[in-house]
Amino acid sequence: MNAPAMRPTLSTARRTALFLGLLLALQVAASRASVDDAHSFALQSAEPYVKQGYQVREDYWGGDLGVGEKKAVRQQLFKGNDYWFWMGTEVEQAKVSVHIYDADGKLCEQPDSWQKGHFAAAHLIPKATGSYFVIVAVESSPEERTHWALVYGFR
Amino acid sequence: MRSFVNQILVAGCALAFLGGPAVGAEPARRIDVKRLSKNIDDVVVPLPNEIFAALGKLDSVNWKEFVRTNKGTNFTERPRIALLLGTVIADGFIAVQAEDAPSVKDIGQRVVSLAKGIGVGNSIVPHAKAITEAADRRNWPAVRQELDRTQNAVQQAMNEVHDEKLSQLVSLGGWLRGTQVLTSVVNRHYSADGAELLHQPDLLEYFQRKLGTMPEFTGPVASQIRTSLQEVQPLIESRDPISPGSVKKINDITSRLDSAIVTRNQ
Repeated sequence: MNAPAMRPTLSTARRTALFLGLLLALQVAASRASVDDAHSFALQSAEPYVKQGYQVREDYWGGDLGVGEKKAVRQQLFKGNDYWFWMGTEVEQAKVSVHIYDADGKLCEQPDSWQKGHFAAAHLIPKATGSYFVIVAVESSPEERTHWALVYGFR
Repeated sequence: MRSFVNQILVAGCALAFLGGPAVGAEPARRIDVKRLSKNIDDVVVPLPNEIFAALGKLDSVNWKEFVRTNKGTNFTERPRIALLLGTVIADGFIAVQAEDAPSVKDIGQRVVSLAKGIGVGNSIVPHAKAITEAADRRNWPAVRQELDRTQNAVQQAMNEVHDEKLSQLVSLGGWLRGTQVLTSVVNRHYSADGAELLHQPDLLEYFQRKLGTMPEFTGPVASQIRTSLQEVQPLIESRDPISPGSVKKINDITSRLDSAIVTRNQ
């Protein structure tokens, strides 16, 4: 008599597991899609610079940050090259920033670096070859976590 | 009076809601980099063409003499293929610097065959085709971009199947070949600025750390790379100018490694 009663319980458990699995997969896909969206916005910032001869690297860095949270990307840069770093997010009401510091922690970006709402860019002509820190931050956002992406180019 | 105060308050709230001025707050003039350690990503490995771009501005380089199209050896061991793949992509960037279209096309084919050897060939076939087309048009910026896309596609395909270690070996292969060419050029016409391009201690430390997570990567080439990176470290980590003697030493080491990577009997 127990066997028939067990069948629907197992099936429900299986269905619940399937549903949860699907939900998780959708969540992962949605999160990835948003970082990809942020990447599109970062590339959009870079577009005018490509016409000026900057080679934008295919690779990009991204994730999500809470308001006020910062992330550092360590970067090897070469004296003689001219670099731009572009950051973007798909959250249009957000305000993001990107700044570059040298290995000693000194702000070293060019004065034409800029920040416009959900886009920001930092320009560096390194005085020395070595490691630099590119610091990205979400300064304000209506979202609890805001996706961001960073691309860079050089010439 | 009360109404005036209310107006001020409303305006203040509205400004706060709108998020303040269009241009961001002034960034800190200085940060404590030691406090970043918890929230810091690994150093980003530059592409060889980034180093070549800087080098090309310092000196007139005869890139043709560094072009290498030798079909080379075929390996079956995946780590060896990954290292070689990174080296061959770097060769692609050198051929672009030399504006050598036939070599670029050969290298594109070689990259496809190596990528197939580690099961990621499909992801780069379109890029290899684009490399050939752009080389035929002598559109060098497009070839550079496609080489970058090729390396990125290979590494993403590896990461997707959790072969991150192979992906790191591709980067290492490219970096070693790039460093070998850089030191060859600077060794011939030494300049402090040229030698300074070798100041990459964090990258070296990064590769050493990654190799440390690969106990399964064994054999003569693996141990030669590990030993060589240790030899190179003291030569490039100083903030003092890198001497002509150090440049020559690094060139000897990376040339030996390059030869080991591309030949079978290692």
